[in-house]
Amino acid sequence: MTTPDPARPGRSADSPAPGSAGAAIPEQPAGDRPPPTERRASEGHSASADRPAARDEPAPAPEGRHAPEGQPAPEGQPAAGDRPATEDGHTPGEQPAPEGKPDRPNLGDVVLRLDGVVKTFPGVRALDGVQLEVRAGEVHCLLGQNGAGKSTLIKVLAGVHRADEGSITWLGQPFAPASPQAAMRAGIATIYQELDLVDDLSVAENAFLGHEESRAGFLRRRSTAYRTRQILARLGHDHISPRRLVRSLPAAGKQIVSMARALSHDARLIVMDEPSAVLAHDEVRNLFRIIRELTAQGIAVIYISHRLEEIRDIGDRVTVLKDGRTTAANLPARSTPTRELVSRMTGRTIEYVFPPRASTAATEPLLQVEGLTREGEFADASLSVRAGEIVGIAGLVGSGRSELLETIFGARRADRGTVTLNGKRITSIGGAVRAGMGMAPEERKSQALLLDEPIYRNMTLSSFAGYARGGFTDTGKERAAAAETAAALELRPRGDVNRPIRTLSGGNQQKVVVGRWLLGGTKLLLLDEPTRGVDVGARAELYQVIHDLAARGVGVLMVSSEVPEVLGLADRVLVMREGHLIHEAPASEIDEATVLDLVMAGSLMEGEPA
Amino acid sequence: MSNLSRRRILFGSAAVGAGALLTACTSNTPQENTQVNTNNEEANPNAAPGQKVVIGFSAPAADHGWIAAITNNAKAQAGAYSDVELRAVEAGADAATQRAALATLIAQKPTVLVMLPHDGKELNAVGLEAMRAGIPVVNLDRAFPDRAAYRLQIKGDNFGMGIAAGTYIGQQLKSKGVSNPVIGEIPGIDSLELTQERSKGFAEALATFGFKVANRRPADFTADGGQRAATDLLQALPKMDALWNHDDDQGIGVLAAVNQTNRKEFFMVGGAGSKAAIDAITADNSVLKATVTYSPSMASSAISLARLIGQNKGMSDLVELQVPKEITLASETITKENAAKYAKLGF
Amino acid sequence: MTDQTTKASLPAQSPPVEAPPAQARARGNWFKSDGAEPLRRNLGLIGVLVVLVIIGAATRPELYGDATWVKNNTFTILQQASAIGVVTVGMTFVIIGGGIDLSVGAIIAVAGVWSTTLATQSYGTAGMIFTALVVGVVVGLINGVLISYGRLVPFIATLAMMVAARGVAAQISGKQTQVSANTTINSIASTRWLGIPVLVYILALVVAAGWVLLNRTTFGRRTVAVGGNPEAARLAGINVKFHTLLLYALSGLCCGIAAIMLTSQATSAQAAMANLYELDAIAAAIIGGTLLSGGRGTIIGALFGVLVFSTITNLFAINNLSTEAQNMVKGAIIVAAVLVQQFRYKSLTQLLGRSSS
Repeated sequence: MTTPDPARPGRSADSPAPGSAGAAIPEQPAGDRPPPTERRASEGHSASADRPAARDEPAPAPEGRHAPEGQPAPEGQPAAGDRPATEDGHTPGEQPAPEGKPDRPNLGDVVLRLDGVVKTFPGVRALDGVQLEVRAGEVHCLLGQNGAGKSTLIKVLAGVHRADEGSITWLGQPFAPASPQAAMRAGIATIYQELDLVDDLSVAENAFLGHEESRAGFLRRRSTAYRTRQILARLGHDHISPRRLVRSLPAAGKQIVSMARALSHDARLIVMDEPSAVLAHDEVRNLFRIIRELTAQGIAVIYISHRLEEIRDIGDRVTVLKDGRTTAANLPARSTPTRELVSRMTGRTIEYVFPPRASTAATEPLLQVEGLTREGEFADASLSVRAGEIVGIAGLVGSGRSELLETIFGARRADRGTVTLNGKRITSIGGAVRAGMGMAPEERKSQALLLDEPIYRNMTLSSFAGYARGGFTDTGKERAAAAETAAALELRPRGDVNRPIRTLSGGNQQKVVVGRWLLGGTKLLLLDEPTRGVDVGARAELYQVIHDLAARGVGVLMVSSEVPEVLGLADRVLVMREGHLIHEAPASEIDEATVLDLVMAGSLMEGEPA
Repeated sequence: MSNLSRRRILFGSAAVGAGALLTACTSNTPQENTQVNTNNEEANPNAAPGQKVVIGFSAPAADHGWIAAITNNAKAQAGAYSDVELRAVEAGADAATQRAALATLIAQKPTVLVMLPHDGKELNAVGLEAMRAGIPVVNLDRAFPDRAAYRLQIKGDNFGMGIAAGTYIGQQLKSKGVSNPVIGEIPGIDSLELTQERSKGFAEALATFGFKVANRRPADFTADGGQRAATDLLQALPKMDALWNHDDDQGIGVLAAVNQTNRKEFFMVGGAGSKAAIDAITADNSVLKATVTYSPSMASSAISLARLIGQNKGMSDLVELQVPKEITLASETITKENAAKYAKLGF
Repeated sequence: MTDQTTKASLPAQSPPVEAPPAQARARGNWFKSDGAEPLRRNLGLIGVLVVLVIIGAATRPELYGDATWVKNNTFTILQQASAIGVVTVGMTFVIIGGGIDLSVGAIIAVAGVWSTTLATQSYGTAGMIFTALVVGVVVGLINGVLISYGRLVPFIATLAMMVAARGVAAQISGKQTQVSANTTINSIASTRWLGIPVLVYILALVVAAGWVLLNRTTFGRRTVAVGGNPEAARLAGINVKFHTLLLYALSGLCCGIAAIMLTSQATSAQAAMANLYELDAIAAAIIGGTLLSGGRGTIIGALFGVLVFSTITNLFAINNLSTEAQNMVKGAIIVAAVLVQQFRYKSLTQLLGRSSS
């Protein structure tokens, strides 16, 4: 995530430049679009009358206490809500209105309004007066750091939690879903980051899970399959067979199934929680295409993402949350400066701070990897890391980078090749740890943390035996050592290392994982996506931590999907594509565009994906 | 390094030694005590070798001394005849496996079929099927409800056991002049019909003396189960006059519990008639003063009678030319006085 | 004890909107926090025990009026809980470590039968104890190897072992009840030191050792890590497979100890002994707050779980109530304990608050 570059070809190809969109509201460019007259007839007053009004309407201003810096001025900004209808050939009129819900809103109508919503958990005021307004057919982005209340807000909408205070209006009616089913029935579908699909059921069974079509208790498999096929076609994915097992689908396919489930409920609002986190670049494009088609059909989308780029690409309006409050509402997604968005999220104005790097002295390599190969994952990988050096591997998900890292750590058995650390051959995790290697894996919660255990036990997970005497643990020493490391890493909240690690934010959990290896006296640290799920503010701190480590002589080998991160942090950059390390260069001698080009193998330059 | 390897060697040799010792420890030849009728030809003309008889035999897998004794007795008795070939199939753990085992047995067309079913009701159909196929069925102990399903039924008397135990306890207490006695009972698995019959007989016999059971704690026919039940019972009844334990196998545990709590103020009656129980009664050094029989010797008798059926012979003491249709063993009371006589029937 | 539990639940019933004085809130919050969950649960179990005793005293006042009887009864309850308690300690470790051991009853049977064969008995007391312990550990190791290195699901591996080990026991014993002629072994169950039965000392020793092992040693720390998040433990350099193997061996060792205790109590062993101990041990562990999915659990809680069961049995015995009713009550208690575990403390008080308002 970096300051968006409007000149980047990948983006300008599919999204019109800000300013031009506004002018294009009522008019459809010619081409493969339906005849404008037909569209007018169906959309009629809503498009031409309501929308400009909606656009000019000032953003519902949250009370002053929530937005100390005042509201962004929406005047003159093109209403982002227009874009879906203009860009894609689909219009609401084309879509046969599903039966049963007569009060289908027109494009641009406000469908959902939250006012002063409060939700309290023991000891935490997760939502503290949230304002939100979502219109039919728009992509409304929700921006905020981890812990800002986005997840809680989603769960309130999805019927998982009930708001303690405030009002929620859905399609003009007061709305307080008692259960996720009730929310679904009302037309609000939620697609969580961790998709809630049943792997061993088919696509159709998953799409209709919980509201299976049946007659006298017998499933109507044929009709379910037919309806699923229809929905998949609507999503532009009719090549997915309804009978296929969800297990066999890639992450992107599973997301399609989740969306199919939402549509099977005839959802009017789809909430997507970081849908792009599990997707590769071209899959994200496909997702955006689908979202545009859905919004063109009048469906509203609440889109949550950490990636500003995406928000600019797909979003119409942005609402920013901080500490459970709305700090800015209905900012135009594309034209609001990054500086402003970040400042509303964090109170800071700079997005990334990469600490200056002192050049490392040329020493003997600490880690030496020679011809490492795992069939089907990566081949013939050779690299080296010196003490105090940060080496970054840039590559897409699926390029084999995580597998390479795990193999170096001994967590996977290599088919060929050697890993040596300080001259010692590494073949197992135990050996790697003993030799002074540590790893912060990609999936923090499932691969690194004991969520129910206190911070200090997580921090001493690989070193507690060292503090023990004759097999008896010394928790006093452990606590002291953990507290010292926690202070050095500026772990927040400060002080208490007895808190369950579950209560920490993603960034602070990552610090604990790094601290674990610091305590173990690690000489080489492997970092797999160190800032995934870490909010912008905490990232800068993590970068500082990584630099400090290197300054102390620890070698770092890191993997990241975010090219600026690799370039900003590393001394040396390796590019990985399809299981091969294809390029190596000092970070100072390579730029983002080059790396991106290498990573994508030119796919970025081809413009529109197929 | 050397330290480590020395530890490994030590550990290794310890493990090998332990293995050797343990393997040796499985050698286990318990004194098998079978009851076999060894009449010779002079005493009984029926004992003379006759037409060859193939006897199919099926009893549930034994997890209990009594059932083990049934199978052992059947095998031993068959071995005593030169004209009998025993084809025994183990009936596994439930009625369904026994049904399957019997199907293969019936297919082999034995002359006579002797079976102790898991459950008389559930295996009734198998009895009928064999009878229709022309194979006479000797139904051992657990009765088929359908009279057409067996040629001969030979069984113990569970109700009679209860009566015998109740009567003995009643008489003893009457003769001691105890007016309002505290009587305990430790049945076996309470859900079994045989247990319920025994308890019913016991209660009815006691009622004739105006007595009743003060507390009953079911066990599970195992010694450790008996010990647990007895401990609970002894705790619940700080003073007791008499105790009937349904089964001598679990009685080992019951007696252990009695010894562990140092209780001597009552006397105890056992059930089934195991050798250990008969020995204890003879020795007269514990609270166990009597046991009421439910003897696995019926398996030996069943084989003998199956042979006679197969050879179309009758029981020589009876006028009839054929073996009778039903035989119910009387439950006898073994006390110190007659223990010597029953010693050979103990299992 | 009951006072304490009721007092604890009182402040939670008032709506938490009004902030109480900082210190009081801190203390109250700690009690309501996740960290205090084991303490709350143990207090709850003690409360249940107290209630059971009160019911006993109310229904049989003449027995409870006798101090000697009460003392003896307490020892009886503890003695009845001793063998199963030892097994439960091992089971708790296995479950915290993310597994399950369905074969404990069968391991006791093999160990008990193997140690009471005529050949083993000829080696004397030490030979019998050695055999029982080694057989228990070896069978546990086989479980562990199947699960760790054979990658069998613990449920399947130990289910298979449950069946197979009973078979081995039946084979060795020839389906007979094997009487122990060893007076030293037999006297363990009847001997008292300082007025307290030896079996109770053994239980106390195993529980204490289990507590120390779980809470104060690297072994215990590894157990929690392996059960809480095996992948995290593995990537932190813990040998998860080997540790899992050790856990099943530990469970086997506990079974070996229990086999000696049971043999001593019944003065005999047989293939059908320790029937359904696996279910009792699992139930006791669960009641004691051990998470069936692993990663969390307490030894003390498990001990209380066993004691609750043992006390219920005792209560039903002294009132001459049928074992059927007893089993129904046991089932209800298991369900109630798990329900309490699922409802977080907060939501439970909310539930109570809602229904009362």
